[in-house]
Amino acid sequence: MSTQGPSADLRARVLAAASAEPMPTRSAGLVRRAAVVAVGMVLSLLVLAYIGGPQPDGRPIAYFLTIAALWTGVVLVASWAGVGRGKSMLGRPASMRWIVAALTPAALVVATLLAGLCWPATISEPSTIHDHLLCIELGSLMAIGPLVAFAFVRRDSDPVAPRLTGAAVGAVAGAWGGLFIELRCGHCSVEHVVLGHVVPVVVFALAGALIAGSVISVRHHK
Amino acid sequence: MTKVRPFGLTYVVGDATVAKLQPASGVHASMEAQAFGWLTFGLAPVARPARGTSVLVTKRSEGDVDGRSAADAAMDRYAAGDDAAFALVYDALAPRLYGYLVRQTREVPRAEDLLQQTMLQIHRARSSFIAGAEVTPWAFAIARRLLVDSVRRGRREALGVEGEPDPGASPEPLADEWVAARDLAKRVDSVLAKLPQSQRQAFELIKNEGLSVAEAAQVLGTTVAAVKLRAHRAYEALRGALGDVIGGFEGGNP
Repeated sequence: MSTQGPSADLRARVLAAASAEPMPTRSAGLVRRAAVVAVGMVLSLLVLAYIGGPQPDGRPIAYFLTIAALWTGVVLVASWAGVGRGKSMLGRPASMRWIVAALTPAALVVATLLAGLCWPATISEPSTIHDHLLCIELGSLMAIGPLVAFAFVRRDSDPVAPRLTGAAVGAVAGAWGGLFIELRCGHCSVEHVVLGHVVPVVVFALAGALIAGSVISVRHHK
Repeated sequence: MTKVRPFGLTYVVGDATVAKLQPASGVHASMEAQAFGWLTFGLAPVARPARGTSVLVTKRSEGDVDGRSAADAAMDRYAAGDDAAFALVYDALAPRLYGYLVRQTREVPRAEDLLQQTMLQIHRARSSFIAGAEVTPWAFAIARRLLVDSVRRGRREALGVEGEPDPGASPEPLADEWVAARDLAKRVDSVLAKLPQSQRQAFELIKNEGLSVAEAAQVLGTTVAAVKLRAHRAYEALRGALGDVIGGFEGGNP
């Protein structure tokens, strides 16, 4: 089937439609996205402050600082790889997004185990189901702000694999929530960290794939 | 001179200065020859684009600035604040996207609607456009996504090759050569329509749209090796289905 080029009328329509819907420039968009991410983070930090703010809460200070540094490192790397698009408008390679979605929870567990090796008494510190559920609730609450912010940053941006990107974004948001609750929660047994702080990361990765994916996908606008 | 488009290329028929059936569009013949042994078909590429050709596929090198395409440079300017540059982005992308969409939908109004949506998506991404990013694979990926969505919404009609009007068909009386070439085009379309979608899309993005294998991989969200394999399988299917024609050309006796 041969094709003529698009008509001049179509060109005029597209240019007129673009003119009628002014979009901000790159620099203005950068400021806007930074503001949205800041608001999302501040909301989570407000929740963290409301529940007492970062504190060792009975944990050894050195352990607290070590675990905070390790988790922060994991979360920052995951944010860079999972939310950023690199130098391509189509985002980072799918393999990298898979790694972020699947390995961020695992990396957080490994970080906890490494810290536990240095402070063996922390590994078997007792905790209850109630403790687990409370941390899941609070961690999830503090992950919502980052999730909404990251979904805004990446909205309408992925025409190829939006659900995969959504999963990566969800895992990153969940990891931020996990980090915030890790900074506050005094329970440091591996069991509690996995069930109370890391499980929400997995849940948010799944939620990101299902919900954020539709926001992130390129869609037909009427 | 009459032109038909088997393999998504324009073939010039009845031109005394060239062979009876030659690819005459600006598609990268050398790349094709390297990647797929295209020239083993016995169809020599024509160096010049056919005058008045209806195919608007352009070579990657046309309009390149410092190794970047005209579309890349224009989009950068648009994102940086030059409102007028969007017209340049449109001019650089629209013909290729339109050709792709018409071939996929077989329906000009739908192709126009999808092209408009694609260009408006690009416009809406102005604030998030990454400096130095490539526009072409991104634009094709958007077009493909919108196309897939429109199919999912049930707006796609069954692809039909038989009896389909060809808007580029010449009103001249049909010559035997033209009929033969048109039949060949139909056979190619028919074979492509029967291929798995993944193979057909890989083949068409590379052969019809002139994307590199790496760009096609980006558009399809898969690896370069997978795209090569899919395109090669499509090529082999075409080769198998059109062996008699190929043999005729290779023997110099079409």
